[in-house]
Amino acid sequence: MSVPHSIALVFRGRALAAVGACWLLVVGIAAIGAPLLAPFDPLEFDPFVRLSDPGWPHLFGTDHFGRDSLSRAIYGARMAILIGSGSVLIALVVGGLTGMLSAYFVRLGHLLMRIVDVLMAFPALLLALVLMTLLERSVLNTIIVIGIVYATTTARIVFGMTLKLKRDVFVDAAICSGAGHASVLFRHILPNLLSPMLVQVSFIFAFAQLQAAALDFLGLGLPPEVPSWGNMLSEERIYVTRAPWLLIFPGALIILSVFSMNLVGDALRDNIDPRFKDDIAGV
Amino acid sequence: MTRPLLEVRELRTHFSIGRSGFMRRKSVLRAVDGVSFSIHEGEVLSLVGESGCGKSTVGRTLTHLETATTGSAVFDGRDILSLSPAEFRPLRRDIQMIFQDPFASLNPRLSIEQKLAEPLFIHRLVRDRSEARERIAATLELVGMDAESMSRFPHEFSGGQRQRIGIARVMILTPRLVIADEPVSALDVSIQAQVLNLLKRLQRDSGVSMLFISHDLGAVRHISDRIAVMYRGTLVETGEKRQIFETPRHAYTRRLLASIPRLEKRIA
Amino acid sequence: MALLDIRNLDLTIARGSELLPVVQGVSLAVEENETLGIVGESGCGKSLTALAVMGLLEGSAARIAGGSIHFQGRNLLALSPEERRRVMGDQMAMIFQEPMTSLNPVYRVGDQIKEAVLQHRSMSGRQAHDRALELLELVRIPDPARRIDSFPHQMSGGQRQRVMIAMALACDPKLLIADEPTTALDVTVQKEVLELVRSLQARTGMSIVLISHDLGVISETCDKVAVMYRGRIVEQASTSTLFSNMSHPYTLGLLGSIPATDHDVEWLDAIPGRVPTLDEAVPGCAFHPRCFAARGSCRTADPDAAAVSPAHIVRCHFPQGSSS
Ligand SMILES: Nc1ncnc2c1ncn2[C@@H]1O[C@H](COP(=O)(O)OP(=O)(O)OP(=O)(O)O)[C@@H](O)[C@H]1O
Ligand SMILES: Nc1ncnc2c1ncn2[C@@H]1O[C@H](COP(=O)(O)OP(=O)(O)OP(=O)(O)O)[C@@H](O)[C@H]1O
Ligand code: SF4
Ligand SMILES: [Mg+2]
Ligand SMILES: [Mg+2]
Repeated sequence: MSVPHSIALVFRGRALAAVGACWLLVVGIAAIGAPLLAPFDPLEFDPFVRLSDPGWPHLFGTDHFGRDSLSRAIYGARMAILIGSGSVLIALVVGGLTGMLSAYFVRLGHLLMRIVDVLMAFPALLLALVLMTLLERSVLNTIIVIGIVYATTTARIVFGMTLKLKRDVFVDAAICSGAGHASVLFRHILPNLLSPMLVQVSFIFAFAQLQAAALDFLGLGLPPEVPSWGNMLSEERIYVTRAPWLLIFPGALIILSVFSMNLVGDALRDNIDPRFKDDIAGV
Repeated sequence: MTRPLLEVRELRTHFSIGRSGFMRRKSVLRAVDGVSFSIHEGEVLSLVGESGCGKSTVGRTLTHLETATTGSAVFDGRDILSLSPAEFRPLRRDIQMIFQDPFASLNPRLSIEQKLAEPLFIHRLVRDRSEARERIAATLELVGMDAESMSRFPHEFSGGQRQRIGIARVMILTPRLVIADEPVSALDVSIQAQVLNLLKRLQRDSGVSMLFISHDLGAVRHISDRIAVMYRGTLVETGEKRQIFETPRHAYTRRLLASIPRLEKRIA
Repeated sequence: MALLDIRNLDLTIARGSELLPVVQGVSLAVEENETLGIVGESGCGKSLTALAVMGLLEGSAARIAGGSIHFQGRNLLALSPEERRRVMGDQMAMIFQEPMTSLNPVYRVGDQIKEAVLQHRSMSGRQAHDRALELLELVRIPDPARRIDSFPHQMSGGQRQRVMIAMALACDPKLLIADEPTTALDVTVQKEVLELVRSLQARTGMSIVLISHDLGVISETCDKVAVMYRGRIVEQASTSTLFSNMSHPYTLGLLGSIPATDHDVEWLDAIPGRVPTLDEAVPGCAFHPRCFAARGSCRTADPDAAAVSPAHIVRCHFPQGSSS
């Protein structure tokens, strides 16, 4: 099936999801073209225009250091995508491998899945907080921590799906052909996990934004000077009455993006192997 | 008489059922409970019996898809049940399995060529891709399919064609023993006949031995030399095909035969 | 007057923007106390025909495109679904193809039978319970007083199928449509279930439509047979006529495909090729690519149904002579 055709199939009859996808496209363009699109330097202080109202030339106004909010929001898109992709990557590799190997090698699974269970006993944010307090505030550490938090749920989901696939007759058939463990796992099981995992990716991407924003807000995430939507909220929260737009713009950006990713995820979910629909109930 | 190719003695495969875990009692399901039979070179032995009597489990245990609890299965002088998975792997080429469901037994994401090349490369039977393709084309022809179907994917084929591909996947390795677990029961009646004829012809031409698992007594009569009747995990009767059909000894065999709907040419 | 009289029934299926014909020009009649067998390969339209009679096509992709279905002289297709349920609800019953999924796993079988009873008769819970017990006894479930409280998973496949039959009989139907009632069962259990159905028929005088892909089951159970191929009835006759004087090449092929159990044959006379899929148009006779008797006109002209002898209808340009 051609790519445009599959895309059409996913979004047919789901106008809202298509709008969501378009919004994500805008965020993506903003992220890539940030240096060209941003009218000001997002880090530059201008003590003379502190807390200015939205208008010309500061369309989104300025914060209490006099930094241009629009420029910070555009660079924030960059952070959003960086954090999303980074945590997705870690969650998929760590969680995916853990889940797959645990389901395939029963003994190993007993051990690994108990560890996963313990980690999952903590609410996601609490787990992230605990891990973050052990580490320095940095972009990389934030990504690692969020990645690990979602690696646990990913491991659970992949564990369940692999258990189902492992019982499929074509896996037995491959074993009978003499295929070894590596071949069964990576050639026969993994490709069948990819499309359900794509759905999972969109949800992790969305929730990673919320986690990152929450960590920023609690002052445990990215270093405060880094332009991210969460930091914009956190830094300016005391000015909520004097300059509410400083909170409204980044807040709306976070909500819109998370909502869009969830819509796209839902649309994707309707197009996967029906046996796996229940596994991907969310993160 | 020569020594049999496969000699199974007192095979038992038990499953522990019920959730394992804290404060839960496990119980044991004796799926196969003391089964003995032998298959000679070039012979077809059928295993018949009602659903759930353990037929598939016998086949799956002999191919190490399940673990035997006790018993032995001497194949070509070696007890295959006592082999470790690594020791058994080279033998997989000689002991092949055809599965019931032609829709489930082919990985949907691999083309027919990839699917058939896999066992060739695993067992180092070919040196390169072009040699593999030659062999695949020849095998596809053997099972009555075009060589050009190689590049296609399982969903593009009908049930009967998929089962032919499943048979090709097995025959391409020139095994010595084929375990066929209900190879035609998922197919349409007219297609069943084609595939049964094909299996019989391939078996005759190659002289491969076969364990044919089925609950269809017509198919069994068509293809086998000897028949073993299984009931609740054990064999109640084993004998030559004619003996089983014409002078059954065990009460269960008689009941089974009496249940076959008769296709009489009834005259008004 | 026949109890059930289907004339020229056409059914279509919506596939994307297309309407594909799945059942074409099917005519069938079932008399009182008679058993009609419908035999054919997977996908030939057996179940859809049955669902059309039951009025259960709403909500599926299939539509009735033409023809009539008369039951006790009334045209069912002229009634609204509501009227139809009210008038016909307890005159017809159906046993479905999937025995394991037709019972709700979370309710006791007794309660499921009771519900079926209460749908048709207004009576007290106590009376419904007694009726359920009576029905379980009728379908010969051993120890019904105890089994009435069982859950479906606690029963064997054959017992579950009996429960299905009990539910279908809850309203004393005049017509029972059984769609592959024994396909998922062992032969020994199949024999018991078929014998049960026959004895119930002798007792109640109901008519039965038995759908199966097994010519043996049909030959043992039915008074007359309709053979379907790709949405059409290709041969129809009384069971004895059909088996003594098979005329359609497909019916002959079907018979040749079945391995005998009472003598040995070297090779089966398999029908070559495969059943065309719904969206593959076959010009002329739909069976011609696989037919041993196909000649010139078969490739261009679709044969009409014609009687080769009274009450023996064959849809073929070149019906085969007596084969016995
Ligand atoms: N992996 C397993 N774990 C637990 N029980 C099993 C397992 N595999 C099979 N069984 C049980 O073992 C018994 C024998 O099963 P098996 O599949 O061998 O029967 P069969 O004779 O092949 O039946 P059928 O004709 O329905 O295929 C059944 O009761 C089945 O439920
Ligand atoms: N709800 C549906 N939507 C789309 N296609 C359908 C639907 N129900 C049936 N069909 C198609 O209509 C054709 C006839 O189906 P039907 O269920 O009547 O076959 P059948 O003769 O009962 O086959 P089987 O022996 O497999 O039960 C098939 O090709 C099937 O794929
Ligand atoms: S009409 Fe022709 S092709 Fe069709 S069944 Fe008869 S002989 Fe065969
Ligand atoms: Mg089995
Ligand atoms: Mg059907």
